[in-house]
Formats: sequence, structure tokens, C-alpha cells
Amino acid sequence: MARKIPFADYTEQVAIKHRRLSFNDAAKIWSSSDRKIQIRPGDVYHILQPYITPRFLEQFKAVVPLALYLVLFQLLFLRQGIEGSWAVTGGLLAVILGLMLFMEGLKLGLMPLGGSMGESLPTHSPLAIVLGVVFLLGIGVTFAEPAIGALKTAGSIVSPERTPLLFDLLNRHSQTLVLIVGMGVGLAAVLGTLRFVYNWSLKPLIYASVLPCLVLTGYAHFDEQRADIIGLAWDSGAVTTGPVTVPLVLALGIGVARAVGRGSSSLSGFGIVTLASLFPISGVLLLGLFVEPVSTPLGHAAEARWFELSPVNELLAALRAIVPLVLFLLLVMKFIVKKQIRHRGLIAYGVLLCVLGLGVFNLGLSYGLAELGNQSGGVLPAAFAQVRAVPTSPIYHYSLGILIVVFFAWFLGFGATLAEPALNALGLTVETLTNGAFPKRLLMWAVAFGVACGIALGVVKLIYALPLSYFLIPGYLILVLLTVFSTEEFVNVAWDSAGVTTGPITVPLVLAMGLGLGETVLAREGFGVLALASLFPIGSVLTCGLYIRWRTARSQEVFVHG
Amino acid sequence: MVEREITVLTDVALITCIVQKGMADTIVRASREAGAQGATVYYAQGSGVRERLGLLGVAIEVEKEVINIVVATNQVDRLVEVIYLAGQLDKPGRGFLYVTPLEKAATYIPPDILERLSARAEQQ
Repeated sequence: MARKIPFADYTEQVAIKHRRLSFNDAAKIWSSSDRKIQIRPGDVYHILQPYITPRFLEQFKAVVPLALYLVLFQLLFLRQGIEGSWAVTGGLLAVILGLMLFMEGLKLGLMPLGGSMGESLPTHSPLAIVLGVVFLLGIGVTFAEPAIGALKTAGSIVSPERTPLLFDLLNRHSQTLVLIVGMGVGLAAVLGTLRFVYNWSLKPLIYASVLPCLVLTGYAHFDEQRADIIGLAWDSGAVTTGPVTVPLVLALGIGVARAVGRGSSSLSGFGIVTLASLFPISGVLLLGLFVEPVSTPLGHAAEARWFELSPVNELLAALRAIVPLVLFLLLVMKFIVKKQIRHRGLIAYGVLLCVLGLGVFNLGLSYGLAELGNQSGGVLPAAFAQVRAVPTSPIYHYSLGILIVVFFAWFLGFGATLAEPALNALGLTVETLTNGAFPKRLLMWAVAFGVACGIALGVVKLIYALPLSYFLIPGYLILVLLTVFSTEEFVNVAWDSAGVTTGPITVPLVLAMGLGLGETVLAREGFGVLALASLFPIGSVLTCGLYIRWRTARSQEVFVHG
Repeated sequence: MVEREITVLTDVALITCIVQKGMADTIVRASREAGAQGATVYYAQGSGVRERLGLLGVAIEVEKEVINIVVATNQVDRLVEVIYLAGQLDKPGRGFLYVTPLEKAATYIPPDILERLSARAEQQ
């Protein structure tokens, strides 16, 4: 056991002074004096450091590799620096900081409220009231979802001349848009809860919700104005299922299931995400049918009032997003559940963190993530075509350039998906659910592969200005066909996996990249990349599921005959 | 029939260390380097400093990790020091440590160690 240690370490270890102190004596002083601990300024650091460091690192790890990938690609392959790199860096820092605060606030403030409501509401009230609360909660959580801000940021990138209807929806009717999406989520939550209670199969629900989406898409496809919003509609489905919606809605759904005595079966918890990403699609498409585009006067946003200026505006938006949800939860607790809320101070602190975090995140969203994605999408075409911003373009031969861009998009999707923590959790659930027949690794790879192909195809779609419906309608028809032949477990997992992958960092980045790319290649609109990124993983997971079932069936056959 | 024998260890002590969630790894690693044979970690909820720190209390996790390490009595002082330093227990809110004397313990003991011990006993 000869091991060399520095002498300084040795003396430090040996020279520790031990002091003996009788607890009897200490306890006497302790109980007679004020019970609050006196802390010195140095202690504040020692207390806060282990609290902040891991939480910061968690978000840091999610943001920085992706951002670095974009920047390095731009530097190495396109030989373009980032414009306003300091603002972008500051924005990314704000994203990290904002998400850190927001997630902590969610854990301390919103989740305990939602959780205790989920436990007590279903036992106190009839099903109809519970379903009403679930519906309103669905709307509330949608407004509080951080990725929703990305839609509003996207609104500022869309051009009003080329796509007036899209511009109108995202700017003038943005609140209505979010409300419609929220109603979709609410409806999905209601149906998902009913599914828990009555043990419905997910398959018919999927057929019933995909059909109107496809019909409306087909209808909009032949209307020149309305074809523009197809991409937005399908993308908004991917935006909804984030870190607020999923746990809060699930907490209530599982509470209901437990109250009616169904318990939590292995599959409860699945399905709501699927429905919550399908219903808003129909909602937004319907909204598009009823909104008449107004010819937009240019320069309508010339004068910004003081509360529309940057930091104030973001904070106000965060307040508008969080406060209604909290008020709603509190009112339900007070008047329907009639239960005292425990740890009020802590919950107030959590809500404060949520508001602050969402505000900072939104700030970082526009200056950091969206800016970075938009720039990177904007210069991407320089690889194969002439772009005004890049004097040396086209940098590569046409086909090589296209190939580089497609590979860039593919690896972006692959890396971003594998890094998503929610996917890891889903993988674990699936592995236990299938008794190891569907290993976690396989699921993660299948989903990441699907997302990567989706994003790559989305970029191709933008470059060649192909209509999104050409991919969506046949794609979803194939998915429905695969669903018919799959078992209930795999259907649940596969359709949910699409929603899981689109977190608050991937969504704004990919959305902005698509828009920037669309802007440069003069596509009508840059949406649809996210929609394709949700389409493909469902297919790849379903296919994997079918293959696994076929393989196990065959091995059992061999076993029987052999 | 094989004769079965139980070997009982004496001169053992239990070091229990309660730290904030996520710290157990550091402490187990440090104590293994200092000669501990193994450790058991389980999760618990605790209170104390959190309530008395006022506003700063939110920075202290309610969830704790409890680390149990059974050591030889000769090792106790050394390991207490190592764990105290690794867990930075001299800072507020980091954790708590105590030592319990144990009457006896039993587990699998590698045969080569038993042989060497009996050989040494014969020499004396």
C-alpha cells in the first residue's frame, strides 16, 4: 500500500485539531438563545455554492454543446463568424440562467401545487368538475410553457409581405393562437384522463385525432393563403409538450386514475402527450380558416411604448404566463378542494423563481437561441448557393454543398435528441415495461435517428420549397397503418416519444434555423421542420417495435419446434 | 456433509454520515481510498438547519443521503477525518456524522485472509 502523497497534504491531514465539546453544554446554550443560526458572509457562499452549481451545470450541458456545434460548423465549413457574438453569448447565458431558475421554481412552486391537487381533487369532487379543472389546467400550462415563447419570437422573423396570414396569426392574433393551442392541450388532457378512468385503448383515439388533422391539412393545401399555416400548425403540436405541461397534467390524470381505483397501471401516464401534440394541430388549422388576412400596413411597430421595451416586456410576458396558472391552482385548492396549502413561503418562492426564470429565458430566447439559429440558418445556403451576406458563396460545388447542409441538419437532430434528459427517462420506462425486450439504448437511438432524419428532410423541404403536406399526409397514413399492426404498449411509447424530444432548447433553435434558412432561400415560410422531426421518430419506434415482436415470435417458434 | 462455520468480527464500529442529496459519491470514494471496505447508501428526508437558516434555507435539500460504513475500530479516527473533510462538514448545512460502537459483525471473509491470520496465531 505504498502511495506517494504530497507533504503538504500529509501535514494538513495530520495537523487537524480535534476539539471536544459536550453536547449537553451546547444544547443548553442552544435552547436558551435565539434558534436562528448566525451566518457570516462567507457562509452564504458555502450554502449557496452546492445549491447553484449542479443546477447551473445541468442547463449548461444542455445548451452549450448545441450552441458550440452551430458556431463551429459555421466557422469551419462556412467560414463565417457569428454576428454580434457578445449579444449571442449573453443571450445563451440568459437561457441557461433562466432555465435554471425556472426548473427550480417549477419543482418548488408549481409541482407541489399540482401534485397536492392531483391527490385530493379527484377524491373530493365528481368527475365532471375534475374534467373541467383538467381542461382549464391544460390551457394554463400551455401559456406557462417556455417553448411557447419561441412561437412569438418566430413571429418577428416571418415576413408580412410573402405570408400575410402567417404574419397575422403570429403577431396580431398571437394570444388567440396560444389560447387555441392551449384548448387543444386541455381537450387532450380531458380525453387522456377519461382514458385512464375507463381504460380505453389509445389506437382509436389516435385515428380519431389524426383524421381531422389530415383532412384540414388537405383542405388548406389547396387554398393559396392557408397553405402557409400548415407548417405552423403542425409545429405548434411539437411546441406544447414541454417541462410544464407533461408533469402537471400527468399528476392530475394519475390522481384521477387512482381515485377511481384503477391504480397506476404500467401504461398510465402515456397517451396524454400524444393527444396534446395532435389536438392543437387541428385547432390552429381551424383558426386559420376563420381568420381573414388583413393587408398589413408596413411599419406598424414603429413606436414601442416603454413597457414593450426589452427587459420589461419579457418580465411582463412571464408574469402573464405564470400568474394566471398559479391563481387558478390556488382558487381550485381553496374553493373546490378546500384544503390548506402547506409550505406557503416555499411555494411563493418557487412561483417567484418561475416568473423570474421565464422572463430571463424569454430574453435569452430572442437574443441567444433564436438569433443563433436564425443566423446559422441564414448562412447555411451559402454552402451551395449565392447568398448576399457571404461574398465568397457558393463555397462548395452545388451537390457537395447540399450534402454538407443535410448532414449538418442530420447530426444536429441526432445530438440534440440524445442529449434530451426526458428521452433517457422514457427509455428507462420502456425497458421496464417490456421486460428488457426493448432496451433503453435501442429506443434512444431509434428516436434520435427519427428526429435526425426528420430535421434533415425538413431542411431539404425548405431548400426545394416542397409543400409540407406531401410529407405529412402520406407519412401519417403510414403511421396509422403501422399503428393498426402494433401492440398497445408500442403504440403508446412510439407516439409519445415524438413529444418527449422537443424541449425548450431544441424547439427555439430548430424553429429559428428553419425560419432563417427559409428566409435566405426565399421559401414562402420556414415552418415544418419540427413537424417532420416529430413524424419520423414515431415511425422508427413503431418499426422497431414490430421488428422486436417479429423476432421474439420467431425465436419462440424455434424454441417450440426445436 | 460440509461443516459450516460462522466467523464473527469484533472490534467494529459504524460510521454514519448524513449529507445533502448528491454528495454520497464523493464521500464513499474518499472513504474507500482511506481504507474503508464498502458503504451502504440510502435516501432519507431530514430537517434542521434548513428551518433555522431563514431565507437561505431553500438552498438546502430536504432530501438527504445516509451513508453507512462499517470499519475496524483502528480505522475510525482516520475515516472520521476523511469523511469530515470530503463532505466539508465544517460548513453550514453540509451534513452530520456520528460513530456507533458495534458489538459484532459477520460477513464473507476471503479464505486467504483467514489462513494468514491463523498462520500468524500459530507462530506466536
